[in-house]
Amino acid sequence: MARFEAAPESTALPASEEHVVIFKLADEYYALDIQAVQEIVRMQTITSIPGADFWVEGITNLRGRVVPVIDLRKRCGVPASEYTPETRIVVVSSSTGMVGLIVDAVSEVMRIPGDQVEPPSAIVAGPENGYLRGVAKLEDRLVSLVDLEGVLPASADDYGSFSRAA
Amino acid sequence: MASTKGTPLQFDLDDEDLKLFLEEAEEQIELLDQSLVQLEGEPDPALVQRIFRAAHTLKGSSATIGHKKMASLTHAMETVLDAVRQGRRAPTSDVVDALLAGLDALRVLANEVVTRVDSGIETERLEADLMAVLEGDGPAVALPEAHDAPVYQVPAGALECCWEDVEQGQGIYFVDVTIASDCQLPSIRCYQVLQEMESIGKVAACWPERDVIEAGGGEYRMASLLVTRQTDEQVAAALKAVSDVAAVRLRQVPPAEATGPIEGFRDEPQQPAAARPEAGEAREDAPAETQRGANGRKASQSVRIDVERLDGLMNLVGELVIDRTRLQQVREQLSSVLRDASLSELMDNFEETTSHLARVTDELQEQIMRSRMLPVRSVLSRLPRLVRDVAVKCGKKVDLVTAGEETELDRSVIEEISDPLVHILRNAVDHGIESPEERRAAGKPETGTISVTAWNQETYIYLAVRDDGRGIDTSALRRKVVEKGLMTREAAEASTDDQVVQWIFMPGLSTAKQITDVSGRGVGMDIVRTNIERLNGQITVSSVPGKGTEVIIQLPLTLATTKALMVSANGTVYAIPLVSVTEALADHEADIHTVGGRKTLRLRHRLLPMIDLAAALGDTRPRMLPTDGYFVVAARHGDRQAAFIVDRLLGEQDVVVKSLGDMLGTRKGLTGATILGDGTLGLIVDIASLVTEQAAVAVPA
Repeated sequence: MARFEAAPESTALPASEEHVVIFKLADEYYALDIQAVQEIVRMQTITSIPGADFWVEGITNLRGRVVPVIDLRKRCGVPASEYTPETRIVVVSSSTGMVGLIVDAVSEVMRIPGDQVEPPSAIVAGPENGYLRGVAKLEDRLVSLVDLEGVLPASADDYGSFSRAA
Repeated sequence: MASTKGTPLQFDLDDEDLKLFLEEAEEQIELLDQSLVQLEGEPDPALVQRIFRAAHTLKGSSATIGHKKMASLTHAMETVLDAVRQGRRAPTSDVVDALLAGLDALRVLANEVVTRVDSGIETERLEADLMAVLEGDGPAVALPEAHDAPVYQVPAGALECCWEDVEQGQGIYFVDVTIASDCQLPSIRCYQVLQEMESIGKVAACWPERDVIEAGGGEYRMASLLVTRQTDEQVAAALKAVSDVAAVRLRQVPPAEATGPIEGFRDEPQQPAAARPEAGEAREDAPAETQRGANGRKASQSVRIDVERLDGLMNLVGELVIDRTRLQQVREQLSSVLRDASLSELMDNFEETTSHLARVTDELQEQIMRSRMLPVRSVLSRLPRLVRDVAVKCGKKVDLVTAGEETELDRSVIEEISDPLVHILRNAVDHGIESPEERRAAGKPETGTISVTAWNQETYIYLAVRDDGRGIDTSALRRKVVEKGLMTREAAEASTDDQVVQWIFMPGLSTAKQITDVSGRGVGMDIVRTNIERLNGQITVSSVPGKGTEVIIQLPLTLATTKALMVSANGTVYAIPLVSVTEALADHEADIHTVGGRKTLRLRHRLLPMIDLAAALGDTRPRMLPTDGYFVVAARHGDRQAAFIVDRLLGEQDVVVKSLGDMLGTRKGLTGATILGDGTLGLIVDIASLVTEQAAVAVPA
């Protein structure tokens, strides 16, 4: 756990640059801090957990570890779609341990210069704002920087309140 | 000093030292906690020496890290203990009280190392109290002379590293070294002796343990088991060359005696006390070593391993176990396809390899499991203090007898059994044992006896708590149950005493005439039972009026694996712990009725509510029962039962229990997940919560 927490969770946008993994969700590009990404695996068998929230796809076996998997489309309110050969599970380490995020595709790893990142509110205002910590304007596209702890329920307790609210 | 409360503290240690310090401090404090209570009125020299040594070790380690308050308090305690040790002061209750007060402060002080904040403990006052006790005019008593030769217990597996040498003809020697009594720093001499032995051979076991000696804990006597090619004269000469060594005695031990059945050779009779420097020395030191010997199991050849690392190994082995199962499946499939004769040799080869892998994996799993095991002593050792405190509060006289401290079980279980055990003991002292007057009137000894015994049987550990108190008052229980409206008077009267005794597990029932601050904490035996069943254990109670009560807890040796009945329901595989399964049958064999619109299973003259397992767990996906029939699994929690509808029975299996992780937390009805033979995951069902919930729903119907 200590190792996970050691991963820098930048709150202020650094002046220098962001080292990120870019993934696609419903034709939009998102970025995750590369420090938080443990690995990227192909879609594999997921065992659903009865009674869990609709966006919790279930749990999967990652080399002997039981890892909960979240469907990011459902979590972010994007209409669900069929899994494709491009579908990936991005395994991240968070304050509640390892979590898998189902995304449409993983495109690349890149560095985004800090001066190209703007706070999210400047571009869009919506409920998904809580999941984003900035938007980068690249030459050919926009990339939203995902706030990992915002996307994930912080703990089992919070998770409980999430499910009650749902 | 009090004014310093809250000020930041600095200690001279890094994280690794901190961990070591805390581990050691905890160990010694625990030891003191356990033994100080026994000290009262029973000045057994071995015990006194053990306590003295623990205080001494604590003093040393706290001084090393620069914890001045802790060092000076342990010094004061040591001074008092020294007086007791030398027979200058009898360990009367005021002495023990002062020492216990010091011990409580030590706990807080040790924790300052973590918090780095002054806790405001006034060590001066405690030290003054200790000194006052010392100067008090309590009678001096002569300690009983130690007469028997010390017994050294060779730790299991101690000789493992040396067998090759023994097979090549090297000798095994028992070596006893006495350091001159005028030596200023015996610990250094012990260390030198140890070094010397290691330069001429291998030290298989050592009393005191190697790490005690290395930490400067050596005293005027040490003993060891040395494997060397040298002759006894050579060994003696080499060791006598170390300064301040007053005497060296050694004796060759035949390998057969050293192997022995598991426990290795036990008795190591001492030579006559010719070499003992003086009577006083001998009296103090010989029993000390007896004690060391008794504790020898955790001695010399052990390494501290991070629990996380062990868990990691456990995970990997779990993976191997799964791969093995998959390989076996592949083998079966292959052999049914490849009937071609030319391939038979290849197949044989493959079979041989898989079965070898299977054996090795089983062995590996077993070994790692064993390395996670701890003696139950760490739990039992806390009990004497608890019993003393509770007995004092209730005005009872109680002797606690423990047995089976060496019984080992998985550390995960150890962590869980402490609370239930403490609760049961509190009950035993508070409700079980009568007041001294009552006992006298009943013709019993004034002092009651509570025994806590641990033992292994098959893959379970048993803990029995017996008291010789008044037994469970069945007529009071009957009244209570009726008063609380839990049962009609007729039903209560019709129940046998054996049945009534079981009612102590009913929720919300307390038979104590008044709520005491000892047991009346709102935590009843029902919670104890729930907790134990959560661990896949069972608890039973029996009682004889006027004679006493016995509570037996049965727990699996480990929580890491559990035997389960595998079933499938609505496309998901579930594991139902076998301990709660009473019956599993196909629907056409089952005696199913509809009672009040609910499906009900009649099983052995009982009507069990039938519940769809998937639905009970909250599976909201469309549900379709198999067209060719379904299965029913009857499961129990305490005396409640329910029957769960499942699609298929998949057989029994040892499952490795894995947590669902922090994010999912504890889910209703599930205790975790397990990896199946095909690499996918199955869910482990928490029968206790499902049965409780369903039974509650079922009762009004």
